Amino acid sequence: MEPRMIAFLAAGLGMGGAAIGTAIGIGALAGKAMEGIARQPEAAGKIQMSMIIAIAFVEAIALYALVVSLILATK
Amino acid sequence: MNVLDHLRQEEIYPLKIGGLDLNITNGVITLWLAAILVFVIFFYLSRRLKLIPGRGQNIIEIIILFLRDEVASQLRHGRETWLPFIIAIFFFILINNLLGLIPGMSSSTSNINVTAALALIVFAIVQIAGVVKHGLLGYLKALVPSGLPLPIAIFMFPIELVSQLAKPFSLAVRLFANMFAGHAVMLMLLSLIFLFRNYFILPLPVLGNTVVLAFEIFVCFIQAFIFTYLTTLYIATAIEGH
Repeated sequence: MEPRMIAFLAAGLGMGGAAIGTAIGIGALAGKAMEGIARQPEAAGKIQMSMIIAIAFVEAIALYALVVSLILATK
Repeated sequence: MNVLDHLRQEEIYPLKIGGLDLNITNGVITLWLAAILVFVIFFYLSRRLKLIPGRGQNIIEIIILFLRDEVASQLRHGRETWLPFIIAIFFFILINNLLGLIPGMSSSTSNINVTAALALIVFAIVQIAGVVKHGLLGYLKALVPSGLPLPIAIFMFPIELVSQLAKPFSLAVRLFANMFAGHAVMLMLLSLIFLFRNYFILPLPVLGNTVVLAFEIFVCFIQAFIFTYLTTLYIATAIEGH
């Protein structure tokens, strides 16, 4: 196998694995946020804001994997 | 490799000063345009401030009040000092992100150099704010949470140093990757048309692109807000200590 083949394969697999982790993380996060809002609808604004900030953190990790896979796929 | 080359920036005017590669590219023109737009918007909207605001003043007032109440409320002491900087960062990044969505314009924040420059500015400001407030030795002491026994404090010190370096890096990569991924997805959808060499595929890329464009507008606002919020968080942590 040439190195380029393995690089393309690694790019796809790496991003796929990162997408799985991100989806699980954001799903759990949003679920807990919905529970919090259902419990106390007055705090919906604050809970929503904190949820969006936490989603940005989790998504950043998936985007690190995206950058690595883009570097792998274009070499 | 060949597809993503469309997202590169092309030189418009080559300019070399003292061996530095200061070519004027598309991204530089977009940065200048964004700066001029931000200045023009704020200048003309503050000309005649009315008590009952008109449309333009209302929109900007909503955003500024949101920034003041939600974002700058983390700074307990120096809110008036830092608020202009926070508003400037937010609007500059927002206009830069939004200008990249106009068809035909190149985007400046989908370039790692621009976001790295912004993150370096934030890093310098955070360190200088901390050192000015506490003094150099006091700032190094304020990095570690207070009230820990000595071995754990010595162990935490390199971890805190690394995290201080990793935070601007993550700011830069987060903004760059979000913007770049949006443009790359739109590019991939449109190159489906060239791949199939057939006009029957046309509804899929066009509708998909419209949906992605709507999502990208949302992402622009969110990413500008996240950058501003994290900048304020780091400044608050540096000023007030743990």
